[in-house]
Amino acid sequence: MNNTANRFGRDPNNGHVPAMGRSVLWPIKSLVHRLTPLYPRDVPRSPALGSTAPHRTPTSGLFLGLIITLAAVVTYSAYITRQISGLRELQNNLVDRNRKDSLQLLRIQNDLNSLALAMRDMLDNDEPYPLTAWSAQFQRVRADLDDALRREQRVAPVNRTAEQERYLEDSVAQFWDAADRTFALANGPNQAEARTQIRISLRARQEALSTAVSRLLVQNNESEEQAALRIGRIYYRVQRQVYLFLTATLIAILFTSLYLIRSNRRLFAQLATLSEQRSELAQKLIATQESTLRHISRELHDEFGQILTAVGAMLTRAGKHAPEGSPLRAELREVCEITQTTLDKVRSLSQALHPVMLEETGLESTLDWYLPVVERQAGLHVFYEKSGESFSVKGDAAIHVYRIVQEALNNVTRHSGASEAWVRLRFLPDTLTMEVEDHGKGLEAPATMQEKGIGLVAMRERAELLGGNIEFGPPTQDRSGTLVRLKVPREMLNSDAE
Amino acid sequence: MTDCKITDRQMNDRRSFLRAGMCSLASTLISTAGFRLDAFAANAAPDPGFHLVDVTSQAGINFRHNSGAYGGKLLPETLGAGCAFLDYDGDGWQDILLVNGADWPGHKREPISQPNFLKLYRNNRNGTFSDVTRSAGLDVEMYGMGMAVGDYDNDGFPDILITCVGQNRLFKNTGKGTFIDVTKSSGLGGRQALSTSALWFDFDRDGLLDLFVCNYVKWSAEHDVFCSFDGKHKSYCTPEAYRGETCWLFHNRGNGTFEDVTASCGIFDSSSKSLGVAMLDYDHDGWPDLLVTNDTQPNKLYRNQRNGTFKDVAVDAGIAFSTEGRARAGMGVDVADFENAGRPGVAITNFDNEMTGLYRLTNGGNYVDVAMPSGVGQASKDKLGFGCVFLDADLDGALDLAVVNGHIDDTVRNVSGVGYAQPPQLFLNRGKGNFVDVASAIGGGFSQPKVGRGLAYGDFDRDGDLDLLITTNNGPAYLYRNDQTSGNRSIRIRLIGTKSNRDAIGALVKIFHGTPYAATKATSHGTVIQSRMVKGGSSYLSQSELPVTFGLGKQDKIDRLLIEWPSGRTEEYKNLAAGRSYECVETKGITPLPGF
Repeated sequence: MNNTANRFGRDPNNGHVPAMGRSVLWPIKSLVHRLTPLYPRDVPRSPALGSTAPHRTPTSGLFLGLIITLAAVVTYSAYITRQISGLRELQNNLVDRNRKDSLQLLRIQNDLNSLALAMRDMLDNDEPYPLTAWSAQFQRVRADLDDALRREQRVAPVNRTAEQERYLEDSVAQFWDAADRTFALANGPNQAEARTQIRISLRARQEALSTAVSRLLVQNNESEEQAALRIGRIYYRVQRQVYLFLTATLIAILFTSLYLIRSNRRLFAQLATLSEQRSELAQKLIATQESTLRHISRELHDEFGQILTAVGAMLTRAGKHAPEGSPLRAELREVCEITQTTLDKVRSLSQALHPVMLEETGLESTLDWYLPVVERQAGLHVFYEKSGESFSVKGDAAIHVYRIVQEALNNVTRHSGASEAWVRLRFLPDTLTMEVEDHGKGLEAPATMQEKGIGLVAMRERAELLGGNIEFGPPTQDRSGTLVRLKVPREMLNSDAE
Repeated sequence: MTDCKITDRQMNDRRSFLRAGMCSLASTLISTAGFRLDAFAANAAPDPGFHLVDVTSQAGINFRHNSGAYGGKLLPETLGAGCAFLDYDGDGWQDILLVNGADWPGHKREPISQPNFLKLYRNNRNGTFSDVTRSAGLDVEMYGMGMAVGDYDNDGFPDILITCVGQNRLFKNTGKGTFIDVTKSSGLGGRQALSTSALWFDFDRDGLLDLFVCNYVKWSAEHDVFCSFDGKHKSYCTPEAYRGETCWLFHNRGNGTFEDVTASCGIFDSSSKSLGVAMLDYDHDGWPDLLVTNDTQPNKLYRNQRNGTFKDVAVDAGIAFSTEGRARAGMGVDVADFENAGRPGVAITNFDNEMTGLYRLTNGGNYVDVAMPSGVGQASKDKLGFGCVFLDADLDGALDLAVVNGHIDDTVRNVSGVGYAQPPQLFLNRGKGNFVDVASAIGGGFSQPKVGRGLAYGDFDRDGDLDLLITTNNGPAYLYRNDQTSGNRSIRIRLIGTKSNRDAIGALVKIFHGTPYAATKATSHGTVIQSRMVKGGSSYLSQSELPVTFGLGKQDKIDRLLIEWPSGRTEEYKNLAAGRSYECVETKGITPLPGF
């Protein structure tokens, strides 16, 4: 392990670095803000995106599908309701009524059979009783028969003709009339005559009645069969409609699904394009920023540095020409010292804007220099930890990592309220990991975009440019603060990331 | 603690043994855990409070019914014969009459010297009986079915009508321990029928017992119908194969003769196929009505119109048909106030899969079948019931229901899986309309399957509780002695009519007492009313004793005894001590008897 804690490199500018942060980042923010409105003009658009994205949403199509589906459901419900209503009517008015009527007819037929059996007993003449003994039995049957006939009339099928009704009523009345006459006859001495009446009149009437009731039963059965056929047809129609409705519904669901899939694919493509454009824009911004800072840094170092060096040399030379101990000589020395101080500051500013060390000695050395400077200037106690077998990180990759560390520490100084920070640089065989941790307030959800700033966005973009990923979060589950962890694949550090 | 008294005899019964084991286990658990599971124990295995002891042999009853079956599968062979408790010698001890069939003509199997007659057993007053058939003059060969016992000549000694296949027989009690056949002289001769149940009752309230006889179908051996399950072998026919036959009503002229008033009184019905009859006062008018059960035909409820005629109101009263509107195969019938509501409830036994009908009478005069909710319906669903009686078997003040079962065809198990011999049932009335069959818990082998037919109750040992007599088809008779274990008490009343018929048949006896028991109903005065009607007939081909028995639980007296005599006279007696019998003579007052 090659761990180094709190070992800082030497300050090449005597540790005097201009304050970082707001003074440095301001131009970047301004630049972003200024550039953002330019997006429609500067960002090229794909022809497909331009023609579809803002105007074609699936809502109208879905709405139309919903209306069609609802209309189909309403129509189908109305159809089914009508069919069921017809079925109910058919069952109530025909089938159920027929069945009730048939039950009463069977009851009538049973009574007629009882009468037939009684008449047979009367004719057999093997009881030691006069024929009038059967009178009570006849009356019991009559009471039941009358009741059955009354009920039968109430539930008689609608297709029963008036003639049929009349015939039944008349036949029953005639039977009882004949029965009464027979019993009246039997009440006297003419038992034989009464038996003859039973044989030739009463039995015949009973049989005729029985035949009439049988016909009505047959008629009911036929009506019931016809009703069954009609009910069968209704069931068939409803069944067919159910199949049709199900098929139509399935087709509608299929088309809606296809439409939704197509719309979603377009939306995702659109999102991907937008993301790509945003990334591209951010990269350009970062590149522009770095280029500008590099340019300003060089200008300051090369131009202003040369000029101030020349001015210093000239003032030194002029001082030598002034008499020893003269006020002029003292003022020239003072001006010369001011010039030297200005020169130092210009060099320091140049280094801060774009450390030349990054290009010359790489990331590791730059951080060795930079962290003690931050510690001194920001009053932040920084624990620096290096581990692993170091490898060279230079070029744009070094700049991006450096800027991320710079921004993370800047956030610690400005927002966290912490007085300590930990910076860990780990050289793993295939990855470079860099962590900046503090135990301050931690990340809070920014209220506005303005508050959110560009810092985190820029860090993320730089990480993406490096082909790595960056995470923000608390150091541990139960500890407040912020841990910024950057992971970059090693191969990305060796190539030109820009 | 749970009461788990198990007798030695019960221990012999496997179910009782298991129950004893369960009880013992339950007691152990209860005593260990300190829980009270009385209610649970009561529901799981109700303590009947009494047990039955089979004393048939011990009492000297040696009877075997002879159906005459020789393979000809003749219809009467399936019907069995009845039994009765009667006091033929007037000594206050219930004697026993067992009716018998006979060999069919041309198919004699028994030695002519020892024909299988009906049996009359005289009570020796020590728990045993003596066969007095021959000395009583009843060793008459006939194909007997049922009987009706009643003192039709008001001489103080009960006479006997035996219903038969062919000619019924009326035996007049001479009062000297013998009977003489008065069939012809009484005017009952010259009639051939397949008669079944019969009863004596005074329908015109003239103080003379009249006779009602049920007839089954028009049947004779010569005109027996060939019925078959398989088309080859003859089997017993159902009644649908035969024409119905009217019941008969004979009016007692008071001179030892009877007049056939069947036609004039309005009960003539040639479609009836009657097997059972019970008397009741359906409309509370003091005039006796009749309930006749018919096999596959609607039951008849003949309402006495107080003018010598009857009107069938069974359909209107809701007792003609089952709740499904079908005429069931009505067999036995009994009527009693099993709700202690002052209304005559009805039990009718039916064919298997038809359930026993248990009817309660509503205030509106409608019978409602409560068999299913009472628990009787489900328990009797697979039984073919015959004899049935309401009796207070446990003397708790609520009438229980005993039923004997048995199929008509011994090949039935090959057809429907229902057994030929079937266990009798004893439904204890647990109150609130609930009945529980405790037959398997009362011992004595009572629940052993039998081909039961006749059933009657009577207190033959005069210990205050009701013993049971059962006849089986082509099998032995059984006498079960009732032994109380709960300490419940009873009171028995024997009525002797003076203005009314001497047997007081038709008299309504009500008692009023204090604390309500299990199924008794308290009146607004806090008293309980139980009522019994003195009646003949009921059950199936059988007749129970005439004295009425009231269970009183732990009561030591009754507050009031009210007697409504058939003559219309009402008598009331107060503060009668429990635990004994009383003899009450109309207009002469009440006399306590020593013991029961």
